[in-house]
Amino acid sequence: MSTAPGRPKQAKAPSGGSAANEVASVGAGMSLRRDAVTAVPVPRPLLLRADNLVKHFPLGRGLFGRGDAVVHAVDGVSFTLGAGETMALVGESGCGKSTVGRLLLRLLDATAGHVWFDGEDLMSLSPAAMRARRRELQMIFQDPYSSLNPRMTVEQTLTEPLTLHSLAVGRRHERAAELLDLVGLAPQYLQRYPHEFSGGQRQRIGIARALAVEPRLIVCDEPVSALDVSIQAQVVNLLQDLQRRLGLAYVFIAHDLAVVKHIASHVAVMYLGQIVEYADKDSLFSQPRHPYTHALLSAIPLPEPGRERSQVLVQGDVPNPISPPSGCRFRTRCPHAQQHCTEEVPELSGEAGHSVACHFWRDIALPAALQPDVSTRVLNRRLEQLQAAFLPKDGVHA
Amino acid sequence: MSALLEVRDLTTCFKVDGGEFTAVDGISFSVESGRTLGIVGESGCGKSVTSLSIMGLLPKGQGRIAGGSITFDGVDLVQLSTPAMRALRGNRIAMIFQEPMTSLNPAFTIGNQLIEAIRCHRDLDHAAARAHAIEMLRRVRIPSPEQRMDAYPHKLSGGMRQRVMIAMALSCEPQLLIADEPTTALDVTIQAQVLELMRTLRADTGAAIMLITHDLGVIAELADEVVVMYAGRVVERASVERLFAEPQHPYTIGLLGSIPKLHLKQARLAAIEGQVPTPMTVMAGCRFAPRCPFSDAQCEAAAPPLTELATSHFAACWKAPLPWEKAA
Repeated sequence: MSTAPGRPKQAKAPSGGSAANEVASVGAGMSLRRDAVTAVPVPRPLLLRADNLVKHFPLGRGLFGRGDAVVHAVDGVSFTLGAGETMALVGESGCGKSTVGRLLLRLLDATAGHVWFDGEDLMSLSPAAMRARRRELQMIFQDPYSSLNPRMTVEQTLTEPLTLHSLAVGRRHERAAELLDLVGLAPQYLQRYPHEFSGGQRQRIGIARALAVEPRLIVCDEPVSALDVSIQAQVVNLLQDLQRRLGLAYVFIAHDLAVVKHIASHVAVMYLGQIVEYADKDSLFSQPRHPYTHALLSAIPLPEPGRERSQVLVQGDVPNPISPPSGCRFRTRCPHAQQHCTEEVPELSGEAGHSVACHFWRDIALPAALQPDVSTRVLNRRLEQLQAAFLPKDGVHA
Repeated sequence: MSALLEVRDLTTCFKVDGGEFTAVDGISFSVESGRTLGIVGESGCGKSVTSLSIMGLLPKGQGRIAGGSITFDGVDLVQLSTPAMRALRGNRIAMIFQEPMTSLNPAFTIGNQLIEAIRCHRDLDHAAARAHAIEMLRRVRIPSPEQRMDAYPHKLSGGMRQRVMIAMALSCEPQLLIADEPTTALDVTIQAQVLELMRTLRADTGAAIMLITHDLGVIAELADEVVVMYAGRVVERASVERLFAEPQHPYTIGLLGSIPKLHLKQARLAAIEGQVPTPMTVMAGCRFAPRCPFSDAQCEAAAPPLTELATSHFAACWKAPLPWEKAA
């Protein structure tokens, strides 16, 4: 493979007719797909495949416009997701992770690329067909304060999707009560308005609304980042329970790697609109390869005081996505960047389900801060025992 | 050594329709020069109200200090006149806020705002103040500070803006720096840069820092001493090492269990069920009792006092120290 998808040149090529053929778009995304499938011991049926997704936002013409300049929000993102699995998209603000989530559901129209859901190309559907299809793809939003209609009661919020998709005819009230029960809220809350709830409760209502139409895939866009730590844990536990009970697949968009490690089965790390590393959770956290992943992991403040660690501090800020750097987009902040990185775009490739887009990842040693350290794993037995009291008594244990 | 800042039984109330509620309920702590005190808690625990009370920035006509004292370098700030407080604020006590965009004036350049802050408190002419401002920007590692002086806040990234805020806060060499969620709005790699910067500046200036955050990771990285707040009260106070190794209050224990660990495999998080009581809720007993798996009738009946369980380790819990089985 000489070129990978998602480089600006290729991205601009029209990807209509022929690309609808799955085999037509061969590239890093393809190798990634094969790896992803072989990595799982028992391959789950493929549910979702993003194929070289591109989204460019034009900056507009006219008096204050900037000519043909575009924001390269997403530039060639490909991945697969099996039924009942969780794939996390992680990265810092502006890396395009939320845009990918919206492209998957066609809440935004992609500049190029395809989303295959259950063998069907969502990009080829008519708006009406897409609306019907959304029964199976739902979304949970970050801000539980602005994603619920303040003038609708909980019951109205929960029955609206049922009406739209003609579901549960004649027993919508019962269904709404069931949904509340599913997310751990009492049915007497049905007649209340969003302002009467706390952030965590609102997020539960948002989840119940997404579940109303019995979807197979939920795109969760930073579902816990607006919540307090103790409430965050409640919602994470709830999402995991629901996945186990209902066989849901999640695309989990987040910036918090600790939460991602807890919930995801596969992780894609994004930087400036591209996936720089993709792996199953265990390989990504135990053997991160991309220097950006190293930096992200070592930048997390650990709740372990006095622990000496040498951080990999990356310098500077994320470059402007209007004119991303040539070659490797991370090179401007990368401590290992060389001349070659400015000239050639590294393609996402790898083996055994672990892909990385870096020319020199084999030469970069894992920073000491990320070496698995046995001493830190000594459990605090007292703390462990006492914390067990907080686990639900009749709880579901994995 | 006497403390630089000593807060004793501080109670702060806010007016609401038809009454008042107590946002901060009789809290006490102290900060020494060169040390960092972390105040940790979730939304509504009163941590920000505490910092506003110290700075004398409670909204006029709504919030008031109803009791207690705040002694800074021998002076009670609660009794201080407005002009005297204004001379102190930004000069000997400085503050960094969470959102650097809203804390900077969008209509003036960075340089303009820095020079204004410096000349407010120091007898310097414009040229000298400008030189000092550039020096401050250099110290917070802003690249090409001379050019940045003429930039407007919107031209800078979030991390840069927070650096400008830190430069401004430190420009008058404060003895106490109050940092209210200084890195919450920043991305994790930028957060690491800012935390590293704060560590260096602390070593250089010897200022006392009061760090307010909800992030136990940030606390572990920066604080020496920690105060854990819940629903307007201090529930635990200890050195950072002891707090993380041997937390005594069930809330602290649950909070530590709620964070997903990067180095451990966990099937489930120890979530604290339920939610923080609203400030209007009148409760006779421990405010954490309804969410506490260890609570009983005694906890509901009376509020537990903050007791010293080990040297310099305080917790407000009737059940502490909690029993556990050493042999397993």
